[in-house]
Amino acid sequence: MSFTHLHVSTAFSAHYGVSWPEDLAGTAAGDGADALACTDRDGLYGTVKHLKACMAAGIDPIVGVDLAVLRDGQVSGRVVVLAHGELQGAGYRALCRLISDAHANTGAHSRKPVGVTLEELASRCLDPVTLAPVLTVLIGPHSDVGQALRTRSYSTARSLFTRWLAVLPAGSVTAEVVTHLSPPGEALSTAHGVRLFKLARERNVPAVLTNAVRYCGIDGAATADVLDSARALTALGKLTDLQPNGQGWLKTPAQMESLAREIAKAADLGAPGAADLLSATGKLADRCRMDPAADMGWKQPVVPEASVIGIDQDPVTELWQRCEAGIGRRFGAISGSDERKLRERLNHEMQIIDRLGFSSYFLTVAEVSKMIIEMGIRAAARGSGASSLVNYLINVSQVNPLNHDLIFERFLSQDRSTLPDIDIDVESAERHNVYHRIFERFGAERVTLMSMQNGYRARGAVRDAGLALGMNEDDVGTIAKQLWRFSAAKFREAMAEKPELRDFSSRVEQNQQLDLLVDLTERLDRLPRHISMHPCGVILGDKNLLDRTPVQPSGLGLPMSQFDKHDMDPMGMLKLDVLGVRMQSAMAYALKEIIRIHPSRQEVAQAGRHRNVTGGVPDYIAGDGRINLEAVPFDDEPTYELIRSTHTLGCFQIESPGQRELIGKLAPREFNDLIIDISLFRPGPMKSDMVRPFLEHRHGWAPESYPHPDLKPALAETHGVTVFHEQVLRTFDVFTGCGMAKADELRRLLGRGEAEPGVEDFFRKESAARGYPPAVVDKVWNTLKAFGSFGFCKAHGAAFAVPTYQSAWLKAHHPEAFLAGIWEHDPGMYPRRLLVAEARRMGIPILPLDINRSTGEYRVERIDGGKLGIRLSLAGIYGLSHTELKRIVAGQPYDSLADLRTRARVGRASMKRLAQLGAFDSLNQHVHGPGNRADLIHHLNSSPSRPAQRRHEPIEGQLSLPLGDLELANLKPGLPEPPMEEKVRTELDLLALDVSAHLMDSYRPILEELGVTESAKLLDLRNGTEVIVAGIRVATQTPPMRGGRRVVFISIDDGTGCVDCTFFHEAQEQAGPLLFCTRLLLIKGLTRRTGPRGMSLQATNAWDLSNTETLPLARNRKPLALGR
Amino acid sequence: MGVFSESVEVVCSSAGQPLSLVWQNRTYEIEAEPLRWYQRRKWWEEELRAERGRGAGLVDHEIWRVQARVNDRSELRTLDIVHQVDTGRWRLLKIHDAVQDLSA
Repeated sequence: MSFTHLHVSTAFSAHYGVSWPEDLAGTAAGDGADALACTDRDGLYGTVKHLKACMAAGIDPIVGVDLAVLRDGQVSGRVVVLAHGELQGAGYRALCRLISDAHANTGAHSRKPVGVTLEELASRCLDPVTLAPVLTVLIGPHSDVGQALRTRSYSTARSLFTRWLAVLPAGSVTAEVVTHLSPPGEALSTAHGVRLFKLARERNVPAVLTNAVRYCGIDGAATADVLDSARALTALGKLTDLQPNGQGWLKTPAQMESLAREIAKAADLGAPGAADLLSATGKLADRCRMDPAADMGWKQPVVPEASVIGIDQDPVTELWQRCEAGIGRRFGAISGSDERKLRERLNHEMQIIDRLGFSSYFLTVAEVSKMIIEMGIRAAARGSGASSLVNYLINVSQVNPLNHDLIFERFLSQDRSTLPDIDIDVESAERHNVYHRIFERFGAERVTLMSMQNGYRARGAVRDAGLALGMNEDDVGTIAKQLWRFSAAKFREAMAEKPELRDFSSRVEQNQQLDLLVDLTERLDRLPRHISMHPCGVILGDKNLLDRTPVQPSGLGLPMSQFDKHDMDPMGMLKLDVLGVRMQSAMAYALKEIIRIHPSRQEVAQAGRHRNVTGGVPDYIAGDGRINLEAVPFDDEPTYELIRSTHTLGCFQIESPGQRELIGKLAPREFNDLIIDISLFRPGPMKSDMVRPFLEHRHGWAPESYPHPDLKPALAETHGVTVFHEQVLRTFDVFTGCGMAKADELRRLLGRGEAEPGVEDFFRKESAARGYPPAVVDKVWNTLKAFGSFGFCKAHGAAFAVPTYQSAWLKAHHPEAFLAGIWEHDPGMYPRRLLVAEARRMGIPILPLDINRSTGEYRVERIDGGKLGIRLSLAGIYGLSHTELKRIVAGQPYDSLADLRTRARVGRASMKRLAQLGAFDSLNQHVHGPGNRADLIHHLNSSPSRPAQRRHEPIEGQLSLPLGDLELANLKPGLPEPPMEEKVRTELDLLALDVSAHLMDSYRPILEELGVTESAKLLDLRNGTEVIVAGIRVATQTPPMRGGRRVVFISIDDGTGCVDCTFFHEAQEQAGPLLFCTRLLLIKGLTRRTGPRGMSLQATNAWDLSNTETLPLARNRKPLALGR
Repeated sequence: MGVFSESVEVVCSSAGQPLSLVWQNRTYEIEAEPLRWYQRRKWWEEELRAERGRGAGLVDHEIWRVQARVNDRSELRTLDIVHQVDTGRWRLLKIHDAVQDLSA
């Protein structure tokens, strides 16, 4: 007994389906099915996962879609469309195109619903070449016909059905009969199904049985209810179109057969009727069985045609030629053993690339890379692509893999036929331009953006669960805010453990509704909510790409594939990650500022103290003074000095509290140290305690030890500790002689329960055969087992280390331009105000807003005495519109407030804000105005703002009379200048920055009373001293920790620097709700020395600094209560 | 949860179809073909928990409309009985000829 379900929504039908493809396929196979359909709503969102799941379960996949049908621009109903199989993909191609049709011209700016007209549907049903039917349309209970039958409007139903049969090609229509056994008279009742069954027989149209499945098992019904509520944004109690009951699950063949009998009986058709229904279902299923490879191009990589990238010869020859050219460019006159090594490596890589037929892939990536650089945009390769010499030679990557022992096989090997990932980081501000350019360059038919699935996380899940239960929105919002980075499924567990949820969990005990809330939240966990544009993935294909993936509009307007990153490899799609990196924008900005302020080669060299070995201007500064950051050698001592000082705020990858602690301990001296540092600061190495032994060996506190002298070459750079994937590969190779390709396969199996024993057997057998003693084999295997699955790919570290070094280099040599770039593009983890505080710490003047000097950017400005400062940008002012800003900048300079009002048409509210922020102070000084800032604000508050009338505007070519500012000159003095505290508060309100002074300055008296220690003084204290510190929260992190117990890192800034505080379990209990919400903190703890330049705090307690009554002040201590 | 006033005992066929029921100590034989459907519940109002893995009976109840009589001479009565799938219990929901709704 077998039954094929032809109408099944997976969880990837957002806000509709409940179950994952692997669960559905597994259940179907377990029930004896040999095929299963996936018909997600509006697209193929779950299709590739479905293929994978079906292959794993050993059943045939069937592929289709549940699509809305439009009539007169409105949705008239929904139908299921199935692709026919065994047609060399004709069915699948038509399905892709049909779905793209349904999404065409939809999106944010359109009112058109997603769906197709009957005519559009008809036009895709036949193969354009053979005119054979390639799609089957199921007219079911949710179609216009089905809806009419539900209300017994038989004549309407008949004429609608006639229309379907008239418009769609013969043989494309099938009736879909469903019963969810709902109460008589309701939708999806048996009678409802019977009517459609009868109508189909009347017209000689085949009728199949489905269960319109939304969940794998009966338990999913409640989840489907909650999804219905979330989709409609309506509480369950108020929802009118809930599913009639909970019968939409993947029923067993026996249950489906009994449904068929029930329907046939009710239709007075008896056993033959049931048999017809079931055999038609089986027949259609057979027609729609997909061959993943032949029909859908499973695992067959497709890259753009060579002609598109301007190549008319064999791509292999072309790639060879480009590599040869690269050797000349990158290495100049190389000879001897260096050249031999280089050639050997190149031959090795090219052999593998050629064998896999990936030459055009490399050429495509090189083309994109070249295109970006020609656009004048900074670009850097990241990821394992840095392992390839070919990438280095064709200018895709900036790291020479030979210098850092990077292994090509970690990137690509003959044993792995999947397309490798090459990721390119570009300036974030330019990312969209790059996308548009790629579309232009390769043609819209070959390019689409990749999408990503956004699933429910705890916060969203609580909100939608609360909505479903009709709970008060504010209550739910408060609860949602308390959730801190854990999945909804762990909700109950978290409530029991997390101190910040203590209040909530006691409420759950009191309030029953909260109990349901927790249950529903758990049910929603991880379910997909919607797809969106992936932050960096661009899919490149040949001219038939849109036959292989449906597309829909993205937020950007460019088409976006319905497939996500997990679907790329199975579908043979070449994905390029073009990632917008703000740091690249910040560095590009800094470079522009440097040359603007120092407009010649000599000036740049002098300002940055750049010298080459002979004392001259180094080559990386071009004739016009432009710095070529890529050409800066990786051996600049001042840069490493800056890094070792741990004053690395703003620097890529090494600014976080944890990283500053680590670089303080590691004290990097060269580029390889930076690679090691970045690689160590990863969840794996941190969790598996690689850091401590590494540091002990590095500083010579403990002797290095190697399990066997043969491993010394591989492990020497990390003093015997296995840190990198590359070292795991070498260890495998040395001990078993397996070769690098096999070694990488073995590495991938480490840590996988079912596969690891096989790896162990192989390792033990082979290493014993090579004569390694059992004790050594044991030891090495244990290391591999423990570290292998956690370690980090050195190539990734190397790629990351490049911008890390570059940003530190800029900070060391051109701090003003660097910080201006950081403020402008805000790339890091910290609020901008901390980086402003960093400028203050470094003695760089922060120049206030000035109506005549501030622009829409943070600019470096030379002030009296030649010193450089950074001028604040008008762009940061709250409430100042973009158009106002543009007009202000266009009209600069202004000689009076009236001039500003007239020419820049600045509104009254903005005038006031500008005055509050002191933007008119210099104008006022210039006219020797008698009033101060407070007087001006008062004046602007009281006088109505009237722009000068048109007839007073100077006509073009006429200069306005230099009258000076009568308004300022006539200002009535009398108010005191606003105190510093008020100025700072205004700045924080309007700019989110404290400019004139540090926010903490106003707390000085109370801090003195409390005996607070400044951050800058901590370093002078002994280890373990008990201190109190205070400051503004700038970062909160809960990194994964060895042992699994949560540790919370909170960094505060007090104006003299950052204090990094560690809250262990006990302290978290003490701090409770303060842990994640409070902005101004007072923290007590013990100093903990982390390195020669590092001191952090192990917190014991914390208080809210803004809540004076609760602070541990002497005056707050209540007298002891006497008696009770 | 809707209050079903009376519990009944039901004997089913192997396919789960009711054959006879015991109500108020009298055994009723079910005549004719009973009608079965699944009735939605407002579980979010009626239940305290809806945890994952809760299984059948949360979102709907199985309801049978049966025609039954005590013996050949007694009158045929139409009864709606509900099968609470989660607990396996049966309750009487409605007696049609008496127009007496017990689920209030």
